[in-house]
Amino acid sequence: MNKFKILLQSTGRSFFAVVLLFLALFFSSISFLDAFTPDVLAQAVKEGESAASGVELPQFEAGSQPAAPLQASEGEAAAGAGTTTAAAEEEEVGPVQYRPFFGMDSRVVVWIVSELHLMFAAFVLGVPIFAVIVEIVGYKGGDVKYDKMAKEFTKLLSAAFATTASLGGLLGFCLFGLYPEFMGHMTNVFAPTMYVYALMFFGEAFTLYGYYYSWEILKGTAAKKWFHITLGVLLNLFGTGLMFLTNSWATYMMSPAGIVPSTGKLVSLYHAIYNPLWMPVNIHRLIANVCFGGFVVGAYAAVKFLGAKTEEERAHYDWMGYVGNFVGVGALIPLPFAGYWLGREVYSSSPVMGNIMMGGAFSWTFIIQAILIGMLFIGANYYLWLGMGRIKGSERYTKFIKYLIFVIFMCFAVWLTPHNLPLSGEERAMIGEQYHPFSKYFGVMAAKNAVVNLIILATFFSFLIYRRSNKGDTIPFSEQGKAGKIGIFSALIFCLLMLVSYAISLNFVELEANIKVFVKPLIGALYIQSFFVCLAAFLTFKNKGKLGQAILFAVTACIAVLYFWYYGFQVMQKANLVLRYLSVTQVAIVMSCLIMNAIIDVFIFRKAKLVGGIVWGKMPVRSQYALILLCVVIVILMGLMGFIRSGLRMDWHIYGVLQDTSQWAYTPTLAYMGRIVGLIVALFLGLVAFVFWLANLGDKKEKEKVKDYEYESKPEGIAAGYTDTH
Amino acid sequence: MAKKRSAFLMIWVILAVICLFMFLKYASPKVFQMLMAKSHPMPTPSTLMMWYMIMGVLAGLVYATTSNQKFADFLSFLLPSRGPIIKSLLQKLLFVSFPVLVGWFVYSWSIPGAASPVELRIQHPTLPQEFEKLENPFREKDADTQRKSIEEGKILFQTYCRPCHGSKADGNGPFANSFRLRPINFQDPGTIATVVDNYLFWRIKEGAPGLPSESTPWDSAMPSWKDDLKDDEIWMIIMGEYDTAGVMPRQREKLE
Repeated sequence: MNKFKILLQSTGRSFFAVVLLFLALFFSSISFLDAFTPDVLAQAVKEGESAASGVELPQFEAGSQPAAPLQASEGEAAAGAGTTTAAAEEEEVGPVQYRPFFGMDSRVVVWIVSELHLMFAAFVLGVPIFAVIVEIVGYKGGDVKYDKMAKEFTKLLSAAFATTASLGGLLGFCLFGLYPEFMGHMTNVFAPTMYVYALMFFGEAFTLYGYYYSWEILKGTAAKKWFHITLGVLLNLFGTGLMFLTNSWATYMMSPAGIVPSTGKLVSLYHAIYNPLWMPVNIHRLIANVCFGGFVVGAYAAVKFLGAKTEEERAHYDWMGYVGNFVGVGALIPLPFAGYWLGREVYSSSPVMGNIMMGGAFSWTFIIQAILIGMLFIGANYYLWLGMGRIKGSERYTKFIKYLIFVIFMCFAVWLTPHNLPLSGEERAMIGEQYHPFSKYFGVMAAKNAVVNLIILATFFSFLIYRRSNKGDTIPFSEQGKAGKIGIFSALIFCLLMLVSYAISLNFVELEANIKVFVKPLIGALYIQSFFVCLAAFLTFKNKGKLGQAILFAVTACIAVLYFWYYGFQVMQKANLVLRYLSVTQVAIVMSCLIMNAIIDVFIFRKAKLVGGIVWGKMPVRSQYALILLCVVIVILMGLMGFIRSGLRMDWHIYGVLQDTSQWAYTPTLAYMGRIVGLIVALFLGLVAFVFWLANLGDKKEKEKVKDYEYESKPEGIAAGYTDTH
Repeated sequence: MAKKRSAFLMIWVILAVICLFMFLKYASPKVFQMLMAKSHPMPTPSTLMMWYMIMGVLAGLVYATTSNQKFADFLSFLLPSRGPIIKSLLQKLLFVSFPVLVGWFVYSWSIPGAASPVELRIQHPTLPQEFEKLENPFREKDADTQRKSIEEGKILFQTYCRPCHGSKADGNGPFANSFRLRPINFQDPGTIATVVDNYLFWRIKEGAPGLPSESTPWDSAMPSWKDDLKDDEIWMIIMGEYDTAGVMPRQREKLE
């Protein structure tokens, strides 16, 4: 308790100072925010350039000729030394648009630094989300090993945090130094948010270090532990807030809003932040960060497992790797939905950018993306299947693995088939058409959406058989007590609300009559799914939960995969506006199946007899290499997607508003992109390995101390026994 | 009995991979010929063949290594043992055929030959900036004007586009067979239904010469119509073309 008081006293003063600083800045920025209400936007747009409110920005002319880069003006100045005129002097002191980086390509420098910063940031933002959840699970369940693992996650976090901050600083300097005009525009628009960002960074730093260093101090009583958990929650809030702010800057560059496009005049900061792509990117990154963190932690555990010297250590890191993979897969399942939403909003904000993305210059990068995502699903499933080997009783379910492999690889084949194939002249002549049937029917989004949903269902099925492996005879659902009934009923209500409310809302979408008829089958599909969700719940109450699950799986696959594959083609032909509703319907139907079947599974196998238990540590070495592969793949994927998101702007700093007139304003070739992304991946993995090694240096010292102490203070036999078991 | 079956796991995996190869190489071209009522088979492109085969081999290896027992069974086929005579024969066959197969691959890759290069074609090249903000003037007009523009557009389409793209806009015009790369079938949902009106305006106006190099303009016989057709006529052709093909253009969506 005394330690707790000391901690409060020592943090109290600094906390008070930060609050004061925050309030001062908040009130100073109020004057800005007053002018950024939506009403002002309409008025200001109407008034155009003569708008009284808003911040005056530099005038930009789309398509203007490239300005001479600094090195050219410097060269000219040197050549003309001795005959310096007033005009030359004026040129020298004029505004600088771009600067080179020690003669290097500025864009590559910014590309590498920002990607490295983003990767570390993804780890730092993703890991605390599940670290806090693991801590809560450990505390509520009374299992110390969860607490130990959550602390180990946080240890990695605190080591990576300083690197993230350093890279962030470097990125800021690079941007302001190398792209002064562009950053001038960004500062004019986003200056108030930059102060908030800095303050939130303080918040994150304090809560992160507070969370980590107070771990042992805040143990013992419930109040202390909950205070510690609250610190973790605050850490997540600050981190998420930081990410949302920076996302507004990045997405503004893709879909600028809140300004007068012709002049670049700011009229609404609110709209500049809440631009069309802001929320889709927020959601996509939030989920992707958790996925990224999970797989990186999994690889860390795999490396530790491979180097483990004792059974206990091996068991601990096997379990940690399992949790990392579980978190990664858990986040990977909704990620395609979030990605599809983002893609659709890109099309909505600019159909041209959408076409560049999926059919144009970036279409081949999406084939690479498809391969990487396929590898993630296969790797994660493979790890789960290998994990069944450590569970006695899993033999009952291993027969399903071959079917799952068939389904997942078939889906993967469709998933990566491009619409436009690389063909030789002879092949073109032999096919005699624009598209081979494989690419015609597998290469479009209707097919991709169908198979990705089937991969998700198959992965979920893998997880179900994994968790059932250790479960034997079940007790009837009617004997599960109130908890079971409430659980199933709650899941049913949630699923019905999701399905029925969306079906009702589809009746009121504003579309032309000839297009609206394409919405009716979606409404029908939602009601059919609602019926089968109810049936699954009903069968569970009648002690036939497994049958209910099977029926729900089958119906979901029929509707969301088979029917929507066919119907997607119809909609593409006649009513592309309905694609938006079709994809949401597809997601809602698959999600309802996942939620309902997961809850049913929890309750029908509750209190089931354990068959034999899980032997942690009994994993083949190749499973650990699968975990390392998953980490490498997700890092490559993040590098690739970062390139796509940023590159879609083509030769615009801010799409349609501020053109990139530098000599580097070209879209890199795939080979060049591959080399740079490869370099970034190697740098990140090298840095992260170094940072984790640093984080473990202290532990090694501690362990050695404990070992020496034990050896000196105990008889030889006991010391030997201690070291053997630890 | 179970042990006997598992001892042949490697052979089962190899057989599955061979079946996949036979399907892609021989069965699927015939199946597509029948399904699509073509006069010629539809051979699987070499790129897809390679990708699908890699996945087939990968799937087999994943299956063979999902448990320690399976992995041991898989590898055990290569070890000498006193198994049935068939196993001994298959072992010998494997030891001979594998190097032969590798040798055949090396030979077929390195033998000099003439073939046109495989092209990485971009389907929807980037729309030039000057076409990006254009709007079809007939889309926002009243129903009567729209109907008239569609009718006029259909006549223009039949006059200028039908010889290659066909009277039904299905890519089967009278000249279609004379091109190495056939004219596009606009009824296919993956073509004009996926782009906005002004994209077509660009393609009709500038034709193949206006395509960037990554879209292999040398693979397209589309002429440039900017010297023959007025802008309004091109917009009307677009109206008529969508109607003839029975598809709708990608529409700009309201942002939520």
